[in-house]
Amino acid sequence: MKHKVLVVGLLAPALALFLAATLRASQAPVAATASTRTLLSAQAETGQKIFVSNCAFCHGVSAKGSASGPSLIDSSLVRHDKSGDLIGNVLRNGRPDQGMPAFPNFDPQQVAAIAAFLHARIAITDSVETEGPRGGYQLQKLLTGSAQAGRQFFNGQGGCVKCHSPSGDLAGIAKKYRPNELEARFLYPPVHLATATVTLPSGKVFEGRLQHRDPFYVALIGRDGFYHSWLLPGPRVTVRDPLQAHMELLSRYTNKEVHDVFAYLETLR
Amino acid sequence: MMSLPILRRCGSFAFAVVMLAGLHASGQAHPGYNTGSVLPVSRQWPTYLGDSSGKRFSALTQINRGNVGSLTLNWAFQTHSAPLKSTPLMVNGILYFTVPDHVWAIDALTGAKIWEFSRPMAGDHIGNRGVAYYNGRIYFGTVDAHVLCLDARTGKQIWDVTMGDVAFGYYISLAPQVVKNMIIVGTSGDSADVKHAISALDWRTGKVLWSTDTTPDSVTAPGADTWSNPKVMLRGGGSAWMTGTYDPDLNLIYWGTANPAPVIAGVTRKGDNLFTDTILAMNPDTGKVVWYYQTNPHDTRDWDSVQTPILFDAPFHGKMRKLLAQAAGNGYYFLLDRATGQHLLTTEFVKGSWAKGLNANGSPIPDPEKEPRQDGSLIDSASFGGTDWMPPSYDPQTRMIYVTGREGYSLWFMALDKNGQPVDHQGGGSQALVSNYFTIAIDYATGKVVWRRPGGEGFGYPGILTTAGQLLVTGDLDGNLLILDPATGKVLWHARPGGTMNSAPMTYEIQGRQYVLTTVDSVVYAWSLPQKQ
Repeated sequence: MKHKVLVVGLLAPALALFLAATLRASQAPVAATASTRTLLSAQAETGQKIFVSNCAFCHGVSAKGSASGPSLIDSSLVRHDKSGDLIGNVLRNGRPDQGMPAFPNFDPQQVAAIAAFLHARIAITDSVETEGPRGGYQLQKLLTGSAQAGRQFFNGQGGCVKCHSPSGDLAGIAKKYRPNELEARFLYPPVHLATATVTLPSGKVFEGRLQHRDPFYVALIGRDGFYHSWLLPGPRVTVRDPLQAHMELLSRYTNKEVHDVFAYLETLR
Repeated sequence: MMSLPILRRCGSFAFAVVMLAGLHASGQAHPGYNTGSVLPVSRQWPTYLGDSSGKRFSALTQINRGNVGSLTLNWAFQTHSAPLKSTPLMVNGILYFTVPDHVWAIDALTGAKIWEFSRPMAGDHIGNRGVAYYNGRIYFGTVDAHVLCLDARTGKQIWDVTMGDVAFGYYISLAPQVVKNMIIVGTSGDSADVKHAISALDWRTGKVLWSTDTTPDSVTAPGADTWSNPKVMLRGGGSAWMTGTYDPDLNLIYWGTANPAPVIAGVTRKGDNLFTDTILAMNPDTGKVVWYYQTNPHDTRDWDSVQTPILFDAPFHGKMRKLLAQAAGNGYYFLLDRATGQHLLTTEFVKGSWAKGLNANGSPIPDPEKEPRQDGSLIDSASFGGTDWMPPSYDPQTRMIYVTGREGYSLWFMALDKNGQPVDHQGGGSQALVSNYFTIAIDYATGKVVWRRPGGEGFGYPGILTTAGQLLVTGDLDGNLLILDPATGKVLWHARPGGTMNSAPMTYEIQGRQYVLTTVDSVVYAWSLPQKQ
């Protein structure tokens, strides 16, 4: 009983941290994610419209090419173009030997707009922050599990209910995070919740939130709110980490269970 | 002007006697420094790897197990730069090191700056591993994929050659390799799904003498049958972004290659995807591939095989062999015969269950159930792989390979558009969940982990140095510089330098004093025994 009270007591600040913390570091160490939309300036959006109605038939709507025309993302000429200085000639004259018609009627603004669109498409393709799982990833792509099975896992073999409640700390959780963030966060929240008890050789005991522990020193924020540290070896240190339950689950989840729990959490809106 | 000391068997080193005494010393506690074709470095540190073998083992013993407890700071040099990822060279009393766009030459005795070269350019600034030195010249790879030749005396530029088009994301992060009269480089960059090559330049003029593609350049070229889609193959990645090793007796250079492209969307390039994630043994005179060994067929996680292919001679099953060992990015340790490429051993040095076994060549077979998926696939491996570019070391005294390894959990997504094409150049991505670091000691002959020391959680790149003073120098992610007993992993000395070491330590001797150099964030620290007053 005492243990349970301690866990609940810890969860209040823990939950605040859980909700406030930012997305864990991922494959590319970039803090902010840019959506496809923010990469498309007004000029590029104009260019996109011109491109889709004039060029996409051969080069594809994303300029990645098609059976009848090459990718412009991989074009050296496009990549070296500055505001239409190289693309303009090709548009005006065409490439008759390669079957590309001329577009002599585009004015300089339209050429510049097409160029802006193509440069935006290149930036999107060269980045992993835009259309992949870190950017504009759609919920539908992740939502392959069974919410009902996820709920059963949550309340049963997953043991999630021991610390979490759908009407308590997890109420509305699906509204707070983007889908891919939520999937990563429930697997292993990017927060530090460990607490430690440090018993000095004199018998004096300190308890608090663990700040650091390696073979050379231990540090915690004590109940007085102040930072305390001790060199090791010396005092006896006992650490409790509520995330250990998440760690144990990581070692035994199946992909189906991951997707089921995610589908269940997505219902908590 | 001095020639680059590619240290071959010769009588000019005091420890040569020790080396000869240790020949064929199978099973002895102290077999000496016999490591085959390439002797260890001692007073100088003339290449990124120290010598050309990749051991990162120094014969210096002034700082040793008995006195390392009194190691103290001798000097520090503040670069005010991006974090240092290069290993400094030490040639004739001068240290040379880099960050992207910058090269420094400083006094190895005092840490005083001699010159700084600066060339700010647009390009990928992820890191630079350092320079090469040859005949009074410095060779430097740039963020826009140029190789520059500088005068080592002044830092003035002598020539500049372009190795790739920065508009397609090419850059050079490695420290060039010097072999004979050639400067050998490979290109980095996979933001645009491009081909890569390893190339040799004339040291004097920068003229390209040969260039060898790392992926097939036509449907009839060797390896082309390991790609399901020729169009993808022709832009198939395989960058060569870490410095290779060289055996002068066999006249072979050994280079590792990186991931195929698009890296995550493996469905667009079914097959083994040669020669990505492969160790290439090449004739340095021609660039011809003599043999190859693929450590990571059909990579879908960017777990490159560019880690140092370490060269040493040692017994295997009772017979002296010319060996090549690599602790690869996929978490597997490989031992090969470096003369023939014959596979001898594969073991796991970190846990992970993404593979369902080994193929007939001893390479892991990816488990289709664990591959990246549209809705995310959870695996019990760290997102960035079992190790990365942080340099490993081989200690001929303990006969162990030391590597900074990682374990953890990660979530992998494949992202295709409605036409089944990758949405971006990767076609997906990963989400790191847990990454725990370890310094790991591997018995070279059995591949078994002898000891490992937990090194904290997060992301970092501490490399490793071993010395004849029975020391292993490294760092951890808890903020410590460490000197360990290479036999047991026990801590002999530590310091908190105020950051993480994201490079490998090196050591040298000048005016009778041995220094151990560590770089932490933007500062170079030189450690030595206390000076007598």
